[in-house]
Amino acid sequence: MPPVSDLILDPHTTAGVLAAKLWIRRGSACDPDQQRGAHQLLGSLLSRGCGPYGPTELADLVEGCGAGLRCDTNEDGLLISLKCRDSDAERLLPVIGWMVHQPHLLPDQVELEKELSLQALVRQKEDPFHLAYDGWRTLAYGSGGYGHDPMGVTDDLNRMDRDQLVALAKQLDGASTVLAMSGTIPDALLNLLNDHEAFQAQATPTSSADEISSQGAEGGQDRQQSLCLRHQNTEQVVLMLGQPSLPHGHEDDPALRLLQAHLGQGMSSLLFRRLREDHGVAYDVGVHYPARAKASPFVFHAATSVDKASLTLSLLHQSWNEICTTPLREADLQLARVKVRGQLAHGSQTTGQRAERRAQLRGLGLPDDYDQRSLAVMDALDAKAVQEAAGRHLGQPLLSLCGPEASLRALGEQWEQRQ
Amino acid sequence: MANGCRCVFAPIPAAGLTCLDFWCKAGSAFEQPGEEGLAHFLEHMVFKGSHSLEAGAFDLRVEALGGSSNAATGFDDVHFHVLVPPEGAQEALELLLDLVLEPALRADAYAMERDVVLEEIAQYRDQPDEQVVQQLLAASCPEHPYGRPILGWEDSLQASTPETMAAFHRRRYRGPNCCLLVTGAIPDGLPQSLSTGRLVDLEAASTEAVDGVTAPPTQGGLSFRPGRSTIQVDRLEAARLLMAWPAAPAGQQRQVMGYDLATTLLAEGRRSRLVDRLREQLQIVESIDMDLTTLEQGSLVMLEACCPPETIKEVEKEVHRVLLQCRSEPVQPEELERARQLVGNGLRFSLEAPGSVAAIAGSQALWRTPQAPLAALADLDQWSAVELQQDVFSHLHPDQAYTLVALPKEEG
Repeated sequence: MPPVSDLILDPHTTAGVLAAKLWIRRGSACDPDQQRGAHQLLGSLLSRGCGPYGPTELADLVEGCGAGLRCDTNEDGLLISLKCRDSDAERLLPVIGWMVHQPHLLPDQVELEKELSLQALVRQKEDPFHLAYDGWRTLAYGSGGYGHDPMGVTDDLNRMDRDQLVALAKQLDGASTVLAMSGTIPDALLNLLNDHEAFQAQATPTSSADEISSQGAEGGQDRQQSLCLRHQNTEQVVLMLGQPSLPHGHEDDPALRLLQAHLGQGMSSLLFRRLREDHGVAYDVGVHYPARAKASPFVFHAATSVDKASLTLSLLHQSWNEICTTPLREADLQLARVKVRGQLAHGSQTTGQRAERRAQLRGLGLPDDYDQRSLAVMDALDAKAVQEAAGRHLGQPLLSLCGPEASLRALGEQWEQRQ
Repeated sequence: MANGCRCVFAPIPAAGLTCLDFWCKAGSAFEQPGEEGLAHFLEHMVFKGSHSLEAGAFDLRVEALGGSSNAATGFDDVHFHVLVPPEGAQEALELLLDLVLEPALRADAYAMERDVVLEEIAQYRDQPDEQVVQQLLAASCPEHPYGRPILGWEDSLQASTPETMAAFHRRRYRGPNCCLLVTGAIPDGLPQSLSTGRLVDLEAASTEAVDGVTAPPTQGGLSFRPGRSTIQVDRLEAARLLMAWPAAPAGQQRQVMGYDLATTLLAEGRRSRLVDRLREQLQIVESIDMDLTTLEQGSLVMLEACCPPETIKEVEKEVHRVLLQCRSEPVQPEELERARQLVGNGLRFSLEAPGSVAAIAGSQALWRTPQAPLAALADLDQWSAVELQQDVFSHLHPDQAYTLVALPKEEG
């Protein structure tokens, strides 16, 4: 097998900067039963010793070059990010290979990272936005792969042991990967990728199709509830109204992408105008629609004072219903198209952004020119087609609220009456 | 320009977007008593339309060009930026300057946007970590504008009017206080167009000459009070140890780079002294960070450790031990080199996007002489280990800090 399953080179003029992103098709949606948080914990351990480097030697190497090296875990994959000067790339790039194929997972480092994860979970509870989203996620995905924070769950992390992580690391070793490099790419790097032992897998490769289909992201299909309340002694109520929608790459994804731009992108967006400019009820308002391999969340979010929460909920609900029942005006549709096009330019300014998008597309099994194809689809969509897509995929929104108990009780009743 | 306004161009090869960034010396430090929060509120109101642009027209037109806009208010200055494809840059520039220099400040929009700002304040109050940082600033800079929140007080915002805001705008938005940055892809003809554009019409007279208002000093004027306090914070889940020290003002670039090196050496990366000792060896913190906030009247070094409440005393003791050790034990050559690489690359890596170049170059051009963004690297190389110990670590003594211990509120 080739050392790296997929390689994407994106030479780009820089002042000697290289960004490398390695996408491994195993994210928190693949966390085994009762091991929620396992991939995040594993990801954090990859840079704590691998190949010929102990934890200290690796930190000395990376920090000594002034480079950035991290591993982030999302629902669909692990993403290792390296940013360095081109002159240091030959020394540093093999580290990415070692991280995937020969992580040490030293017992003391496992315990340290586990404890840090547990403490981070505690700290997350300070943020009412996090609590509201966490409630929405549970409501939407239940016990499915997307049903927990990639960081994990306290009880599961407490029980987790090194052997479980070693087993997961073996799967990582055989997982299919995508490496994207952007910026100033030294010629010598390509030979290094082919020849260097750091990139040689030890385990039998698994197919990427198996990994994605096994993620079981859906969950929550048998959901009975459409409301989640998280009581907190806050001044504001945080509202999250949304629905699990489409995989990135679904034929209706361009229609929902247009709706996201129309509803939540920029100060001319519908929610911004309606909630902030027309009613002054919220400062922070928007739409969360990340690119996911399975049913991506499509979520409106806003935070408002207790006395304005009822109106805010009504406005959010009204806006949600409108997109399913009323076609966009032609001018709004055209503006949404321009915004999506602009967003692509905004999202590819740095080498890190360019490499990550390229790795993500291949990681999700999509063509390299997916964004351009999507724009062409959007140009051809009319308002009726967008509305019909909304009707197909956004017909059953779920509401999560975080705030003072009395206020949530009233809002809950308001929600139930409208259902 | 003849009126004192400065225009700076920083082309970036291969950039696909143009950043237009208008800066003004009109941060919260320039508010007079009773105006608290007005600088930030004005930033909001600017986007509510000008004499020739209806509310929302600016956003609509910029976003129809494929662009985006935003703004940020700090203690010292405020800036309004637009990121747009180069073919729309000329139109966006005219819109931006119209909006910023001629805000309409309509009464109905004023009342509505004040509600939005009050929601923003409430949102911050619901974030315990933000509250803790604000408490540290209030306690360490009690008699200085840096000690009060940029968002202001609810009372002063409620008492403000479009007229008081217009007066603030007239006072601060003058040629010598303004600067325009154009970075990224710079379209042909755009620089030349500025010679006949709206910036030329800005008043040349400085604030002091007009209304006798004394502008805050721009060098070394920070009044800082060392001390210590412990507070309990509602909804705080993990304990925090925060420490703040006064540092050199932004204008003293060499000194500022020294503090940047010192904080990096102490708390950036696993091999930094504080992270290595407290998180990796003793395992008593979840995180420990140290940042330099560069400010015109005196910068601030801030340390924040996040830990379980039961380890907070040990954390404080160890932080003191490491800081005192820095004064007595020499900085090793490899430590210094590591910090140089991290600080230098931090700067190099931030020069890829037009927006971040404008953010770095804008502050410099507004307050001082424009310089190439990487010019600061020369100052970095001048610091020796001995100088760092004598001139920087000597100031980071625990006794010279304000220390705030924040604990989760006990039930009942």
